[in-house]
Amino acid sequence: MSVNLSVNLSGIKMKNPVMPASGTFGAGREFSELIDINRLGALVAKTVTLKPRDGNIPPRLCEVSSGMLNSIGLQNEGIDHFLKHDFPFMREFDVPIIVNIAGNSLEEYAQLCRELDRVEGVSGIELNISCPNIKAGGIAFGASSKLAEQVTAAARYNTQLPLIVKLTPNVYNISKIARAVTSAGADVISLINTMVGMSIDTNTFKPNLGNITGGLSGPAIKPIAVRMVWEVAQSVKIPIIGIGGISNALDAVEFFLAGATAIAVGTANFINPTTMTDIISGLEAYLVEKGFTDISQIIGKVKT
Amino acid sequence: MLQIKADIIGKEEVMPGVFNLILVSPEISRNARPGQFVHVLCPTDDGFMLRRPFSIHRVVPGRAFEILFQVVGKGTEALSRVKIHDTLDIIGPLGTGFKYSEDIRSALLIAGGLGVAPLLFLAEELVERQVLFYPMLGYKTKTQMLRYIDFKRLGKKTYAATEDGSFGHEGTVADLLNRTVHNIRPEIIYACGPVGMLKKISETADEFGIECQVSLETKMACGIGVCLGCACVTRRGYKMACKDGPVFNTRDILWGAEDYEKGLANGCGCDNEALSETDSAG
Ligand SMILES: Cc1cc2nc3c(=O)[nH]c(=O)nc-3n(C[C@H](O)[C@H](O)[C@H](O)COP(=O)(O)OP(=O)(O)OC[C@H]3O[C@@H](n4cnc5c(N)ncnc54)[C@H](O)[C@@H]3O)c2cc1C
Ligand SMILES: Cc1cc2nc3c(=O)[nH]c(=O)nc-3n(C[C@H](O)[C@H](O)[C@H](O)COP(=O)(O)O)c2cc1C
Ligand code: FES
Repeated sequence: MSVNLSVNLSGIKMKNPVMPASGTFGAGREFSELIDINRLGALVAKTVTLKPRDGNIPPRLCEVSSGMLNSIGLQNEGIDHFLKHDFPFMREFDVPIIVNIAGNSLEEYAQLCRELDRVEGVSGIELNISCPNIKAGGIAFGASSKLAEQVTAAARYNTQLPLIVKLTPNVYNISKIARAVTSAGADVISLINTMVGMSIDTNTFKPNLGNITGGLSGPAIKPIAVRMVWEVAQSVKIPIIGIGGISNALDAVEFFLAGATAIAVGTANFINPTTMTDIISGLEAYLVEKGFTDISQIIGKVKT
Repeated sequence: MLQIKADIIGKEEVMPGVFNLILVSPEISRNARPGQFVHVLCPTDDGFMLRRPFSIHRVVPGRAFEILFQVVGKGTEALSRVKIHDTLDIIGPLGTGFKYSEDIRSALLIAGGLGVAPLLFLAEELVERQVLFYPMLGYKTKTQMLRYIDFKRLGKKTYAATEDGSFGHEGTVADLLNRTVHNIRPEIIYACGPVGMLKKISETADEFGIECQVSLETKMACGIGVCLGCACVTRRGYKMACKDGPVFNTRDILWGAEDYEKGLANGCGCDNEALSETDSAG
């Protein structure tokens, strides 16, 4: 089968356009026992912050119709621990590594970028300005085009690495935010992070999450994600990573048709660890069946 | 840890709404430790469903393992409809199970209802290691005495409690423990059951200076330590039930909101920001 699945995300060269979504794959250590990581297009680490974060009070998970809510709260051990313990593990694979970061302030984003810029083996930095589960930073930056622009500019000033900005769907005008981060120097846009949601136990009258609200992921958000990728693809020229409810190759194809150059898989990894490798095989089969030879032939080809 | 498609070679409804499945997997049967669990894809056409965790109930050495489960919702309902020779998609064995030192001589195994699930595997292991142990089993009523006979066969002396007094002690196993612990004087207590019961048992264990390990249940997504969704609050910060647990030493567990704050104030490693965040939405 000779179809070309390779893509180039503003300098991040991937042998195929399939990667994990940040926070759903750790550093790949556990999944490496279940799948061949070298088959993936890229590795994306869980969000790291400057200082360790404990995360939110449990319960942190709740299954809902066609998806799940989470309120993890960016639990992580901080950048130093990440670089010492997780990053070396990720480097053992022959796959580009994207490090996802979040800060409480512009200065923290800037400092994280400065540190990562010096690290050999980082292929790109993803700015998480879209986590709904933390009070300061996170979504606060992603929900305002002005702040989104400022944080992107601060990051841009501090790194030469390909810069991905991850957007939140919890906004009215996603195109406006996308244009703002593009003009501030983003190389790639990834979307979407989770949608803010809530679930209540009808016996106890209590919210099902300790944090009360959480981020909705899974098939439930896929149509929203496809629509947002399509809208953003109309308004900016930089490549897009499509994320949201992707569970199989045809889900992925929808995102390519809407204008994504690559896709990331989150929640579906929990249900079936082979989701990503299945999608890679499935994309090949799909292209062959449709008579295409290159994934680029379907990107943005939705007929409207 | 591995992902397998396991052939179902045995299915029994051991009492109304409670099923036992025997699943073929030489690898899991060889590698599993008591207290570990498997993460099961419940066969449903209902679209999206996360995997469901079930304790490894027993192993058939070198060949198969069993799970014992109660139908409580759509996942377990789907699981109850499987047939012999269907296959189940399973990830396992997972988590950190019960710990025992080489020189331990006597143990007390306390189960409430479905809590017998991980403890039967432990009981069989203790028999093999020639450790004396006492099962203490709590049930609602006489007709629901899950695995009582099995424990009675394996243990030195078996204690039972029923809530309605139809068999053994009338009341809960936690009461029964309070009344009998000074006679039994075990070196260690292993327990599984509802969280209220576990908390009471841990208080008694504390009072008598007995080490106590319990298997905790939380909602899980990945089951393999990746999503950080199954956090339990411990004196050493948040620990993941699917990886650090599900078995924890009760010395480490913080049981409720007041306890959490105490633990945090005591510098368990959590930053207090995490707590204050909980009173704001998102
Ligand atoms: C490590 C571990 C081991 C377990 N071992 C066993 C076992 O050996 N046998 C067994 O029968 N069950 C076991 N459980 C519980 C089992 O996973 C749940 O009963 C199951 O996930 C319910 O799925 P469902 O779709 O049928 O119910 P749902 O529709 O998800 O829920 C139905 C009801 O059950 C409650 N519930 C759901 N999940 C849990 C849970 N994890 N713990 C407590 N209550 C829950 C819900 O709050 C709700 O009231 C274990 C759980 C864990 C975490
Ligand atoms: C348990 C969980 C943890 C997540 N953690 C992060 C994170 O640390 N950083 C981040 O940028 N996104 C995080 N996300 C969001 C995902 O990367 C992704 O954007 C979102 O889940 C939508 O994709 P999905 O429907 O395929 O899961 C997390 C999602 C889940 C479900
Ligand atoms: S269930 Fe994902 S970390 Fe435990």
